Amino acid sequence: MTVGLHVIPSFFHLDDNYLSTAFKTFNTDFFPPWFIDLVQKSPDALVYFFVAAFYITWFCFLIGLFSQISCILMTACCYYFYALNCFHIGTLSWDILLVTLFLMCLTPYHGDYFSVDALRRGDVEAWRKPRPFFLQRLLQLQIASTFFFTGLYKITGDGNWMTGNPVYFLMNYPALGVTKHFLLKEWMAGHPQFCYVTGLLIVATELSMPFLLFIPNTRYAAIVLGFCWHVLLIMTLDVPAIFLFLFPAQLLLFIHPQKITDWIEARRSLNAKSPRAKIIYDGDCGFCRSSIRLLQVMDLWGKLEYITGPKGMAEMKLYDTDDKTYGGFFAFRRLVWLLPMLYPMIPVVYFPGSSILGPLVYRWVAHNRYLFPVFHTCTDGTCHR
Amino acid sequence: MTTSVRNKLISVFVVVWLAVFYYESTCYYYLEPLLKRELPRLKFLFPPAGWIMFYNIGDNFSYAEVYGVKDGNPQLIDPHQILETRAIGYDNINRNALVTVLSPGMSDAFCPFLQRKFPYFEKFMVTYVEYPYLTEQPMERTQTVVYTCGGAN
Repeated sequence: MTVGLHVIPSFFHLDDNYLSTAFKTFNTDFFPPWFIDLVQKSPDALVYFFVAAFYITWFCFLIGLFSQISCILMTACCYYFYALNCFHIGTLSWDILLVTLFLMCLTPYHGDYFSVDALRRGDVEAWRKPRPFFLQRLLQLQIASTFFFTGLYKITGDGNWMTGNPVYFLMNYPALGVTKHFLLKEWMAGHPQFCYVTGLLIVATELSMPFLLFIPNTRYAAIVLGFCWHVLLIMTLDVPAIFLFLFPAQLLLFIHPQKITDWIEARRSLNAKSPRAKIIYDGDCGFCRSSIRLLQVMDLWGKLEYITGPKGMAEMKLYDTDDKTYGGFFAFRRLVWLLPMLYPMIPVVYFPGSSILGPLVYRWVAHNRYLFPVFHTCTDGTCHR
Repeated sequence: MTTSVRNKLISVFVVVWLAVFYYESTCYYYLEPLLKRELPRLKFLFPPAGWIMFYNIGDNFSYAEVYGVKDGNPQLIDPHQILETRAIGYDNINRNALVTVLSPGMSDAFCPFLQRKFPYFEKFMVTYVEYPYLTEQPMERTQTVVYTCGGAN
């Protein structure tokens, strides 16, 4: 999502940004000259090709379809556009994002769960799968070090946060400057001492973040602090939104995977003991069993109970915990609220007219369900009537 | 691949990655001044100058203003019309993205861009605006023409 939010706006003005009519600048420190020269030879048709490739791979990566290969191809597109013209997308935060993407290209683990890949594999306990921890640890080190070096650069070398009063200067920037018009700006612009102390606190926080994040007792407080930090940053300064979207998410990597697994298991066992919504389906239909398996993959919290109904039942039934009964399309519409992986379907199933069209489509599918080819469950000859 | 081989590969990768990460993070501002020579850099991965977010902010502010000239009359062009690409969550003009056009050699690329985008004007003046003392003299403002495009340069 972060990559798309940063790159896609630049596609709305291709003539300004990437085509032969564009005004281009190049990051010759990041790319070797031969690479920039090579990319600059792109005809406009190739630019259009890469735009299409970016859209496709970005969307596949977003929904977790062929996660690793889509990540690699999307990252390649990012490098291409960055080398083609860094004027719009080239920022320090973009460099940080590319390092993160590079690491994500190395393994397919990000497609383990909450992805179309997870549905394709049909593994109902994918969330429990143990994986090597190294990428998470490297990303932890990266974000903690980024905080530390950001603070260090401010007080050493050319940094002037000890000798000058950068916060005070920022508060006095003219309207075209990087400082947003937030509530306390005018007041801070008249109080240099307060600004100086704020500056020192900023540096102290940045320098101490790695320690706060790696010490177990202060870890969760540091994660909350990091969240607040980036919200404050985006509210007060015109900095790329990548900081807000990427860094807080990376801070969550400090939560140990085993803790997350334990938490999921605790919620599942709690739900298992509580009254649960019941799904009644046609157990003789391969397509239905395949669909139920997909629901089981998506049912991370174990909120549903799956019950085989009579052969040839007309539609799936859902008995909710509040004793309400839903059938067919309306059962599916209820399901999208119960399973987080189906949340993106909410606008679709509540789109105006869906109450009329949805049951018609559902009835057609239900009527022809024995004719659909299915995988995973089609082993006993029950797929076809 | 056996677990043992995989683990060895992961270990090697982690060591190499961390070595490169910390080398690149400290190279420009610490290692090169310490060793007093330019060191080899790894392209394609890390920010070239390290993690220098807002590390040096002075008591001055400068930016670029572009004027279109028609019938001898200069007219300020809204920077948002020059850089029409909108970013989500922030404003590239406030990030001072346009200041890049003042760099040496930029006129060759920027002038044709202006002429294509604003054919109404006969020529353009790209100026450097500076507030030299933001806190001492906030009203003091200097402006100089860095280069002109079109017409008789």
